[in-house]
Amino acid sequence: MAVGLTLIFGVMRVVNFAHGDMMVWGMYLAFVLATRAGLDPYLAFPVCAVALFALGVVVQRGLVDPIIEAPHEMQILLMLGVALVLENTALLIFGPEPARVRSPLARLAWEVGPLYVDVARLVTFAVAVVLTLALSLFLYRTDLGRLIRASADNHYGALVIGADVRRIYATAFGIGAACVGAAGALVSPILPFQPPTGLSLSVTSFNIVIIGGMGSLVGAFIGGLLVSVAESLGAVFLRPSLKELFSFSLLIVILLFRPAGLFGKRTP
Amino acid sequence: MTSRLSRRTFLKTAVAGAAVVTTPVTLRAQAKTFKLGAVHPVTGPLAEPGQACRLGAQMAVEAVNAAGGIKSKGGVKLELVLGDTQTKTENGRVEAERVVTQGARMLMGSFDSGTTNGMVSVAQQRRVPFLVDIAAADQITANVAKSVAEGQQKVQYVYRNFPTGSSFGRKAVQYFGEIFAEAKVTPKRVVLMYCNDLFGQTQSRGFLAAYKAAKPAWTVLEDDVIAWPEPPSDLSTEVSRVKSLKPDVISPITRPASAQILLPEIRKQRLDILGIVGPGSPGFYEAGQIAILKDDVEYAMVSNPWANFKNPRTIQVAEEYKKRSNGKTFDTNSGYSYDAVHVIADVLERTASLDDPDAIVDAIKKTSFSSGLMQYAGPIHFNELGDNPNAVTTMTQILGQKPVAVWPREAALQKFVFPRPKA
Repeated sequence: MAVGLTLIFGVMRVVNFAHGDMMVWGMYLAFVLATRAGLDPYLAFPVCAVALFALGVVVQRGLVDPIIEAPHEMQILLMLGVALVLENTALLIFGPEPARVRSPLARLAWEVGPLYVDVARLVTFAVAVVLTLALSLFLYRTDLGRLIRASADNHYGALVIGADVRRIYATAFGIGAACVGAAGALVSPILPFQPPTGLSLSVTSFNIVIIGGMGSLVGAFIGGLLVSVAESLGAVFLRPSLKELFSFSLLIVILLFRPAGLFGKRTP
Repeated sequence: MTSRLSRRTFLKTAVAGAAVVTTPVTLRAQAKTFKLGAVHPVTGPLAEPGQACRLGAQMAVEAVNAAGGIKSKGGVKLELVLGDTQTKTENGRVEAERVVTQGARMLMGSFDSGTTNGMVSVAQQRRVPFLVDIAAADQITANVAKSVAEGQQKVQYVYRNFPTGSSFGRKAVQYFGEIFAEAKVTPKRVVLMYCNDLFGQTQSRGFLAAYKAAKPAWTVLEDDVIAWPEPPSDLSTEVSRVKSLKPDVISPITRPASAQILLPEIRKQRLDILGIVGPGSPGFYEAGQIAILKDDVEYAMVSNPWANFKNPRTIQVAEEYKKRSNGKTFDTNSGYSYDAVHVIADVLERTASLDDPDAIVDAIKKTSFSSGLMQYAGPIHFNELGDNPNAVTTMTQILGQKPVAVWPREAALQKFVFPRPKA
């Protein structure tokens, strides 16, 4: 989830406030595939990724691209608008009830000595690791990946070497949306969702990405782990109702002492 | 011949003319309506119950109008002026203002206590009688009653036909004790869990206060009450903590989304308990929830306001509701909004004037309405605080994947299953 957000910001400097709502659409797509076609979300996630890639490209080309040079506040307003449209379209189509996808895997739990292991979360974690590694390989080992990084580092430099920056931006936005589509499908058996869920997912993503460092894939991954561990420790050692206090306190500490995040680069 | 035809033509023309002259009068009489502002959270996180409330109210208005409207006032029809709080507290006041400006002469709403409080100030300031259909916080009516008693305000315009937060707690403690006694068990480790929002806090406080006052034989672990931030993304840590407390009974106060995480987690972590018995909250009984939770929610009990399915009219309305809502249950939300419209229609029948809010309030105070579809302990009437003391809860249990009233005896359709069978 956070990897997609950080990629979009890293490449285009666009703060995607519709990120959580895109994830909710990934979840609903997994829900439709499971209920209509009997496809398990752990198998259907590539389909959701492809669908969200297409949505990402359309949003980027149709809406973001025309105002890519506009001030940040205009981009933020635009993405908030996209978020509202996505949320209310989901409300019209799927209704307001919380939904969750049923999967046999989500019912499994292993007891290893005193430890309890939720199999669905373990699988989701493993797939997230694999996807993050695959994305890193793509960005560092392929020509398109290098072009994306080049465009992120220096927009004009990329233009000078003949890169089709508009196409690269659309691809990067699409990949970011595909990440969140896959993430949505993978968590759909664990996390109940309804149209307004997008906002809280966006807030969690921003928290993770700011802690990890805006624009850093490794930062997004480590940030995700840190936030989860902080919340779990908060629930154990403090009170469960205060667990979010831990993760958002971590955010404040990071902003005070490392404003660019743990793995982010300071911009001049 | 010609003369006869002329006479016939004359008669036809006369009849047609009379019809033309009289018809507009009749139509004008039929067109007279009484506007009722119905404000609910139809979008946002509480859209599901909000939409249920709205549909319940719409069906009731259609039923009243189909039966001839407000007969004592020449068949005046009810007309809903709809408002949506978008589940935002500040919109309770905004939407109430809007519907009143659009001509609403009474208000109903609004499901959650925060927005309902916002509507209260509009009702009092603009002298618009307000019947709260759903909202449990005691202070909604109590604060107005107090200010009227102290002379700060002249008239109380706010009344409620729904159990208050404190009565939820009292009834839950009573039913818990009766069910445990009937099942011949005395749980010593009841663990209370709740969603940490205004609703969860109010419900848990009401339950604990009633428990302390009742001093029952069974025991709640008062120092180990567990709350989670709502909506949660994960409750595995919370359930692990509960497991370490070795509970006999888990008593959760949930929202639909948190119930979808909590109940599967309880099964996954294999808690060995007598049962799940909630003091009152959504999440367990809705058709959509049961379809998702399946066996995880089987045998779960919860004390909630519930429809009286012993009444054939309730079954009839519930069938219609099911058709119009794509298979949903006629439940707490749709039911109380349905009843609210009928109580309002009854008030309008008896009021001396539809145009005088104080006359409407006088009629509200004299209410004694026995045709409600929900489970009541007696006729709907309003006490000195403006609450209906006969609005009570019923213990329901999921049996065979359906919510069934199991307690008290007079409301029960089936015997409860407690302790639940071992998996």
